[in-house]
Amino acid sequence: MKPKSHPLLRVAQLFAVFALLAAPIAALPSEGDATNLKTVDQDVQALKKQLIDLNRDLFKLEEELLYPASTQVAVFLSVDVGTFFALDSVTLKVDDKEVANYLYTDREVQALHRGGVQKLYLGNLKAGSHEIVAFFTGKGPHDRDYRRGTTLKVDKTVGAKYVELRISDREASLQPEFVVRQWE
Amino acid sequence: MRQRSSTARLYVFCIVLVLGAAAAWTAHADEPARDAPPPTTIRDLDYGDVLFHFFQDDYFESIVRLEANRDFNRLSHHAAEADLLSGGLYLSLGLHTEAERIFDRLLAGPVAPSVRDRARFYLARIGYQRGYYEAALRNLGLVERPLAGKLEPERRLLEANVLMGLGRYGEAAKRLESWTDTSGWSNYARFNLGVALVRAGDTARGRQFLEQVGTMQAANEEQASLRDRANLALGFALLQQHGGDDPATALSRVRLDGPFTNKALLALGWAEANANRPDRALVPWLELQQRRLLDASVQESLIAVPYAYVKLASNGQASQYYRSAVDAYARESRRIDESIAAIRKGGFLDSILATIPQADRPGWFWQLEQLPDAPHTRYLYHLLASHEFQEGLKNYRDLRLMQANLSRWTDSLEAFGAMIEARDIAATQREPHRQEMLSGTDLDALAQRQRELADRFAQVEATREVAALASPQERAQWEALERIDATLASMPAGPQRDEFTERARLLRGSLSWELDRQYKVRATQTRRDLQQTRAALAEAGTRLAAIGEAGDLVPRDTLGFAARVNELADRVARIAPLIDSTALAQEHALADLAVTELQAQQKRLGSYSTQAQFALASLYDGATAGGGR
Repeated sequence: MKPKSHPLLRVAQLFAVFALLAAPIAALPSEGDATNLKTVDQDVQALKKQLIDLNRDLFKLEEELLYPASTQVAVFLSVDVGTFFALDSVTLKVDDKEVANYLYTDREVQALHRGGVQKLYLGNLKAGSHEIVAFFTGKGPHDRDYRRGTTLKVDKTVGAKYVELRISDREASLQPEFVVRQWE
Repeated sequence: MRQRSSTARLYVFCIVLVLGAAAAWTAHADEPARDAPPPTTIRDLDYGDVLFHFFQDDYFESIVRLEANRDFNRLSHHAAEADLLSGGLYLSLGLHTEAERIFDRLLAGPVAPSVRDRARFYLARIGYQRGYYEAALRNLGLVERPLAGKLEPERRLLEANVLMGLGRYGEAAKRLESWTDTSGWSNYARFNLGVALVRAGDTARGRQFLEQVGTMQAANEEQASLRDRANLALGFALLQQHGGDDPATALSRVRLDGPFTNKALLALGWAEANANRPDRALVPWLELQQRRLLDASVQESLIAVPYAYVKLASNGQASQYYRSAVDAYARESRRIDESIAAIRKGGFLDSILATIPQADRPGWFWQLEQLPDAPHTRYLYHLLASHEFQEGLKNYRDLRLMQANLSRWTDSLEAFGAMIEARDIAATQREPHRQEMLSGTDLDALAQRQRELADRFAQVEATREVAALASPQERAQWEALERIDATLASMPAGPQRDEFTERARLLRGSLSWELDRQYKVRATQTRRDLQQTRAALAEAGTRLAAIGEAGDLVPRDTLGFAARVNELADRVARIAPLIDSTALAQEHALADLAVTELQAQQKRLGSYSTQAQFALASLYDGATAGGGR
């Protein structure tokens, strides 16, 4: 014999439908949970703000203590090339001493392509003339390896010295090259 | 990699979307800072450095550098952009109140129209996230021109979602009808609107929107998943209508290997069962039974299969399935008990984060769907994908990362303290030498001497006194000639004196001629020497002043830095336990949420089990009464 459809089975069917549409509703917090979450979230917000302020002050102290403006030299790296050029590494020498040798992750390369500028080196130099030498390596179209370098004389005065090394292919050669700019 | 991340993100995004229209957009809204366009030209390198970290989604490092560099006054050329970015960064880090304060402040001042529009957009987004739909709509209405890049379609989606939040579906629909974009955002809006209309009871109009999305050409995984979701929602809507179009058409469009397959299979079974085709209902339901029992659809299939057998008059098989269903539900309920106990035990969030590779990297939470079948997590897939849980988990992760960051600073502060002490000692040791140098150098006397020499040279030049520039040897010769003259003057007149006088005259003439010949060169040299002396004196003055000043500053600097180190060390010490207690509170809050979810699942299993037992009883009753098979 064929038994009648039990009413509970009809309930089950309806439940199935609503479970599908509304199943995740179970995942929504109850009123008590939601209030608790909100309170915790407010505490976390306040704490995070304190932590950001604290980190800001620590960052400032570190720079002022270790790299006072009178001796500070910062070398920045930026990129102004087509996306077909993939930067691999940059090596930096100051007065013939290697101070940075940086290998780039994809994420960092993307950040540079999007307009970010990397603070490659922060150090101290006494007043006077200094020599900075930089090399970069990378891959261009058709997997072609590139290695280019530049040398520049820096005259360090009493104020902080900023040097920007821009890897650009917008110059006459249409190949990635360093373009150097000194900022006071 | 980007594609992978995008796909993974979508997966969770899909689950979130099933929560409803509001949650759908929130998943994207978690990362508002992403879309901020960079300025065309970097005019402050330190702003470029902030962007370098920002573009890597390293929002904490980015905001710290932004705040520090702003204090150093190094972002002056990008002041408004930096303000806008800081608001977006605070928003990304979950600091809504701070972000709102920044955007309000920005709007109160004179800023470029594009910055103003973006600030209003972000304020609208905050309002929407907090449920202040009227305020959000008001801010959106104040946006004067299209926003840059991806923000414009996002603005339109936000506007549609806000209108839906206000229940103004008609207006939302009108906005969408006139929206032709290629970015794919409008499809999300159409989906959200379709679901909202169905929920509001306007199934006919809701179906139209869902049908549009459910039949679109999908160019990538993201769109294919959205299409699946739309077909699933459409199938459910039709299933609820009873007697309208066949839901199977929409449900069959859901891919067999997607995140919505289980739900689609279950619904397809019900669609067939509703159409009195229990034999065809068994096909998807039996397929479902082969899958992991963790899934709610699979759990439900355990009683759906015997239901179909009952319909097919196979009561014996139905009884078997019901019995095994009751056992399975009991097993699952016990496992949920284990999960609740594991969660209550603590370390719940750490165990989740530990299973995610690179949980310290941005985008980490999109990998939550890959969590293992561990007691803490096995039933929490829906919960893990929910906005509330993800926000809480992000908070917890942020706090732990900041704690590690502070621990590194604690070491640095110790080193700074030692460095300041060493500087102080070195300065003390240098002090006697410095004092000696300062007291032993009479710069004023040197300057006076230099001025005298300069005056004397001016006099020499004015009178062309060539002998004044004679070399020491020439000077000796000149003096010798003067002595000879004196001797000759005392000699008696006569031929001998005349001869000597003549010879002395010749010698003087020769010397004068030589002095005159050298005069120009020597005058130039002397002038140069005097200039150099003047410069050297000035340099010496500067250096001496610097030495004096440095000596005065060292104690002050040392004390200043030492005070700052101490103050910061105090702050670190005060805040460290706060991080622990707040992280713990966050964990408890999420554990409560998880337990509530698990208890709801247990309740559902209990309900399924009761249904199975009643059905079994019904079958036995029928068998007893009719002596059936």
